Amino acid sequence: MKIIRTSEEPPRPALSRRGFLQAAGVAGVAAAATACGAGGGSSGSAGSSSLRVVCESGGFAELTPVAALFKKQTGTTVTLTQLPYDGLFSRVSSELGSGALSFDVAAIDAIWLPQFAPKLAALDELFTPAVKADLFPATLDEGQIGGRYVGMPGWTNVEVLFYRRDLFESPAEQKAFKARYGYDLAPPATWQQFTDAARFFTKGGMYGTDVKGDVETEFLAHVLQAGSPGVVLDSTGAVIIDNAQHVKALEFYSSLSNQYKVAPSGAAQVGWPEAQNLFYQGKTAMTRFWAHLYRQIPSTASVYGKVGVAPMIGGSAGIAGIPGPFYLSVPAKGANTDLALKFIQFAYDHNALGIGTSLGLAARKSAFAQYAGKPGYESFTPLLTTLSAPATRSRPKTAGWQQIVDTVLVPTIQKSLTPNADFAGLLSAARGSVQSIV
Amino acid sequence: MRHALGRRPARLKISDRRFAFLLMLPACLFLAAFVLWPLLRLVIDSFFQISPLAGTRSFTGLGNYRTALESARFRNAALRTLEYTAIVVTMEFVLGLGAALLFTALGERSRLLRTAFLYPLMIAPVVAGLLWRYLLIDNFGIVNSLLARIGVLSSPGQISWLSDPHIALFSVALPDIWLTTSFMSLVLYAGLQNIPPDVVEAARIDGAGPVRMLTGIIVPLLRPVIAVALIVRGIDAVKAFDVILIQTNGGPQDATNTLSLLIYNTMTSYSQPGLASAMSVMYLIVMLAVAVVAVRMIWLPGRRAR
Amino acid sequence: MNALQLRPGIARVLLWGLLAVVLLLYGFPFVYLILTSFKPPLDAISVPPVFWPRAWSLVNYRSALAAPGVAAALINSLVTAVISSALALVLAVPAAYGVTRYGTGAGRVFLLVALVTRMMPPVAIGVPLISFMQALHLTDTSFGLALAQMTISLPLAVWLMAGFFEAVPAELDEAAQVDGCSRLEALRRVVLPVTAGGIAVTALFAFLASWNEFLFALLLTAIRAGTTPIAIANFQTQFGLQWGSMTALATLYSVPVILLAIVLQRHIVSGLTLGSVKG
Repeated sequence: MKIIRTSEEPPRPALSRRGFLQAAGVAGVAAAATACGAGGGSSGSAGSSSLRVVCESGGFAELTPVAALFKKQTGTTVTLTQLPYDGLFSRVSSELGSGALSFDVAAIDAIWLPQFAPKLAALDELFTPAVKADLFPATLDEGQIGGRYVGMPGWTNVEVLFYRRDLFESPAEQKAFKARYGYDLAPPATWQQFTDAARFFTKGGMYGTDVKGDVETEFLAHVLQAGSPGVVLDSTGAVIIDNAQHVKALEFYSSLSNQYKVAPSGAAQVGWPEAQNLFYQGKTAMTRFWAHLYRQIPSTASVYGKVGVAPMIGGSAGIAGIPGPFYLSVPAKGANTDLALKFIQFAYDHNALGIGTSLGLAARKSAFAQYAGKPGYESFTPLLTTLSAPATRSRPKTAGWQQIVDTVLVPTIQKSLTPNADFAGLLSAARGSVQSIV
Repeated sequence: MRHALGRRPARLKISDRRFAFLLMLPACLFLAAFVLWPLLRLVIDSFFQISPLAGTRSFTGLGNYRTALESARFRNAALRTLEYTAIVVTMEFVLGLGAALLFTALGERSRLLRTAFLYPLMIAPVVAGLLWRYLLIDNFGIVNSLLARIGVLSSPGQISWLSDPHIALFSVALPDIWLTTSFMSLVLYAGLQNIPPDVVEAARIDGAGPVRMLTGIIVPLLRPVIAVALIVRGIDAVKAFDVILIQTNGGPQDATNTLSLLIYNTMTSYSQPGLASAMSVMYLIVMLAVAVVAVRMIWLPGRRAR
Repeated sequence: MNALQLRPGIARVLLWGLLAVVLLLYGFPFVYLILTSFKPPLDAISVPPVFWPRAWSLVNYRSALAAPGVAAALINSLVTAVISSALALVLAVPAAYGVTRYGTGAGRVFLLVALVTRMMPPVAIGVPLISFMQALHLTDTSFGLALAQMTISLPLAVWLMAGFFEAVPAELDEAAQVDGCSRLEALRRVVLPVTAGGIAVTALFAFLASWNEFLFALLLTAIRAGTTPIAIANFQTQFGLQWGSMTALATLYSVPVILLAIVLQRHIVSGLTLGSVKG
């Protein structure tokens, strides 16, 4: 790039010194003004009338009406910040660890409580006998770590059975099913009935059900249905992941895909979003899914208006499910603890508001009872049935649970979804891995 | 020649070396503060067992290093990182060279298309990862649907790009390859422009066919350019994080769990910063060693030869 | 001209055909992204998937922009990228000039340190940076994020500018200095205007390094300073994957930089090739 200059005058620069300084100055001021960030509310120092809540998408839906009412009645602005599920965990985890908090209240998953408990404030004063009576025992217990209540249940969830009512109530289908299997077609209540129905409806481009290899709670529900005294660990903390019930449950879970081929391919990567989409598109006749799905079916989906809900299926120990509650917790070192507690009490008092939201769930028995049986809330009775079943149990309270899920449970399920998988062998191997974590 | 006298008062002239030093100082200070200092913290942390939520911090010497080296997960992640880098760099090079040769053979008229070829460089890796996940995902991905329609696949479910552990690593490499092949082709194209015409002519007269031309003349002459491109891209491929995280987050069954992801998850999901720091330190040492060797063997000689 | 160029003939026509196929395949993913953003939301994840929209709709764009935090994320991305690239230039231009014009030992060491920094995976210094930023009270600010992202863009900028400066003959500076300019003035009034194209390219790449960056944004921002790549990834909620909104936001985010690149394409080409050809 040779430049030949004929004159001796250096070329005049496009920007004179003064112009440059001016531009830099303006840029600097603008940068300083916006350098903090355009999003979110104020940083909410102690004593001001604002409150910061972090949650994921479900929590955002559930808490929005509560926040609005809280503002109306107390004048405090509640800022809800929505993060993706993994992001919420990372955020809360790192901030609780470092002490630099950007929130006053967090709406977090039950399985994170054991890990976060040391850094969460005790909420015992909120748990009066009246409050405790209106909460499901398992959900109440899950929020108590090390003798103190570190989370107030915000809403609870459990997996139930969704099925295509139009198919199950079609006379032609009923006749064909009776002819093939010898009993009346009805929403399945046992493992055998579920397998039969799934096999029956795998035809014409549709599948009987889905098999989810990417998530673990459904498999764990089946473990409880088989009669196991706990999932992965028992109440004393001993590892029971390779007991007979776990093996039976894994066999039932994976055979649907391996042996009976009643599920779409790629099961190893099917998680909640994929299963939901498949059901919405009419590709699966049944799905085991979280109860909130019922009120979320879009009106534009082809299955809209054709969906029925039944309690979760039962194994030899009857119906069982894994509750999936979310809790409102307060950081111990938070600057706004009093206001946070006030908000949580308020949220409990108005817990029924959550039912009107897109997630449509609550934590209090009375809230559910208020709506159960009403048209449009057909999912509540199955939800209550499943949550109250004797075999229903919550997941173990161990701090390494996330690690167990990510490194042992999900890979084991994925490995079991290959032909000729050795279920007992896989679970024995899993035992060793879990042992090293707890 | 104009004289300096009479224009302005004589300035105190600091030596050239001082001047150069002052020019580099702000950048050096920044790197020292924001890179070297965190690196130092990283090395220090690697000797401690840290539990941020419990608030404990205990010295453990080489304990973290031992745990990492004994962990099959760590060793496999390292192997996978190597595999991933090899896949990405090889494919980029082959496809990039092919594209560059194509553009060269077609001459200046292809300039517009060459520019169009550049566009993936502007796309965020996260966006590329999500896009390719969307293209390859079972049941909803359009790639399998199209391949089945034109008969390459017997059914859309035949290949599970992202859920089959045997091919998942290759599948997550696809967006990375897609993003940077254009960079490779650009660099190689520029290199091809600089090949002396007489050498090519001489080879043609000697009767060299296209294959001979490629292996005997073009690639050897391009060696310095190829070397730089491979080193740069190799470094980037080893670091790959966003693309893989957003597509599979390490699954299925750890098939795409490279070192970057393992370190990230160990730090955040499993809350073990001490162990993650030890892994990072080992990672860095190896990277440095390899890069120093590569630079010494390939790049510097090229420079000195000039 | 070009030593390897093919003469017009059948082979050439075939190669043009091949090029067309290559470009089609290469462009297909991005075209699909754009087309999907204009489909109705449920169609985006239809089974079996469709390429061409059955109906054109702007719903995805509306819901993407209305989603919580997205508008703020777009602003944050712009602000962070501008601060990061401007600062990177301010630091890199003098440093690169010092390295190339005055080939001191310190200069070579600096270049090597810059190369080593380039090698570092961001995930390694991510967590130590978090505590460092906390000490400076810069967590969850665009300025703090810009600084973190500069650890990626600064070495890149130094290397690019070094290449551009090397292409400017030293006689130019010397002529300016003989004419009475101080060394700084020679840089500012003579060399910089000549390398204006190179500066533009370096600015673009520094901007891109920040615009497309994900990991530091993930680690160092919370509520106020989150950038758009985070917002795009956020469309993966626990129970649903809103492909429609995601493709809309991704399209919205990529198209401006692509247009910018088209405007600057000649400089980009020379910039990239300069750095590597000169080795």
